[in-house]
Amino acid sequence: MKINIAGAATTKFGELWRRSPRDLIKEAANNALDQAKMKPFAVEAVFVGNMLSSSLGNQDHLGAFFAEELGMPVAAMKIEGACASGGLAVHSAVMAIQSGLYETVLVLGVEKMTDHKPEEVAQMLMGAGTDAEREAGATFPGLYAIMARCHMQKYGTTEEDMAQVAVKNHYHASLNSHAQFVFPVTLEKVMKSPKVADPLKLLDCSPITDGAAAVILTKIKNNEVNIIASAVATDTLGLSEREDLTGLKAVRVASQKAYQMAGISPKEIDVAEVHDCFTIAEIMAMEDLGFFEKGKAARAITSGKTKLGGSGPIINTSGGLKACGHPVGATGVKQIVEIYNQLKGIAGRKQVEGAKIGLTHNVGGSGATAVVHILKKD
Amino acid sequence: MISPVKIWRNQKRIRQLLGLKGKIVSFTKIFVPPAGFEAQAPYIVALVKLANGQNFTAQLVDWEDKHLQIGQKVKTVLRKTRDPGEEGIIPYGVKFRPI
Repeated sequence: MKINIAGAATTKFGELWRRSPRDLIKEAANNALDQAKMKPFAVEAVFVGNMLSSSLGNQDHLGAFFAEELGMPVAAMKIEGACASGGLAVHSAVMAIQSGLYETVLVLGVEKMTDHKPEEVAQMLMGAGTDAEREAGATFPGLYAIMARCHMQKYGTTEEDMAQVAVKNHYHASLNSHAQFVFPVTLEKVMKSPKVADPLKLLDCSPITDGAAAVILTKIKNNEVNIIASAVATDTLGLSEREDLTGLKAVRVASQKAYQMAGISPKEIDVAEVHDCFTIAEIMAMEDLGFFEKGKAARAITSGKTKLGGSGPIINTSGGLKACGHPVGATGVKQIVEIYNQLKGIAGRKQVEGAKIGLTHNVGGSGATAVVHILKKD
Repeated sequence: MISPVKIWRNQKRIRQLLGLKGKIVSFTKIFVPPAGFEAQAPYIVALVKLANGQNFTAQLVDWEDKHLQIGQKVKTVLRKTRDPGEEGIIPYGVKFRPI
């Protein structure tokens, strides 16, 4: 597989009360088009990654909504898979191009979350869980906290280990002007932040964010960065039905498919954007993606291997969901934008020197959907 | 919004889940609740392995600190789960109690 990335852009992520979803996607899409040196009429289809437009925004017709806004009266549709909506939109665009039906496709990811109360957002996000989890009053921090406690019990992972993920990702975000939190945090600050769902604290959790991202995928050779693998796997919706709570099986399955598709091993990945919705999620991702052995990722992260300047793979140079922000439907598309920038060598102060192969890892719910993409520079 | 019809349909399943014993596999204390659970926070959500081999996730009630550990024995009981909301129908469901 070789799908060319012609252009890629994100808006600033954050509490963007002055901006509407229309403004956000217009900025992201136009910047991606400019970068690709393309006119809007070159786009043959639009795929929109979004989760909450219906429940929070009362807008249920996103494909046509954004196609109109962008002046692109072409095939347009929303793709939904909870927090993996963006990754699934990219996957769908890859399928559309591979099928031969379209040559050039625009993928948008967008979410507008900060207009609403946290309790409402937490309730709507639980739309990605099971009835039993909702009736229990569980939240996503709560479900990941349940997995964190299992990981701590089995592998001796500590709260400090998890806090180190936040420290690293905030450092990366401090180099990213588009990030929600453009500042570093200390280990002490993370450890002293208030509990959200024990053992997870406020600074273990990704924030509620507004933002949009856009990528233009094409069959035509436009520049040197390509998607060479796109894989999806699913697992049970709820945690109760899983055999193992110390990792995500869907991630293991999707990543193995992707490595096979690309003909590479995890060791060849130079840079990756992973779904650190909570700090424990990055630790589990490192293990499930095959970067480190089970139970050894926390030590590797603490030793600085995955931080800029480390021996690699360098993880979440954007700041990740934790510090760049997590507008849920935009995240999977933003991850592609960041890896594209890294492989193009235009990532600025957070550039990983000589990065040739990159990976994105986007997860929906508590691990019911996993999307893995591998990108390579020619 | 939770439809009264959905509450009625789901509550027919509850009976089979009552009076079952099990052990806590993992748990969390929720400090930031979703809408409908504000009055209960902070509360414990536990994932329990029931004696029939099935896992189930629900709140733990009537607990003391000594009960908050992996392996704690519990049994399922019937409790009100959340705020009734505008519909006024009280949603009942399964919770765990330490034994």
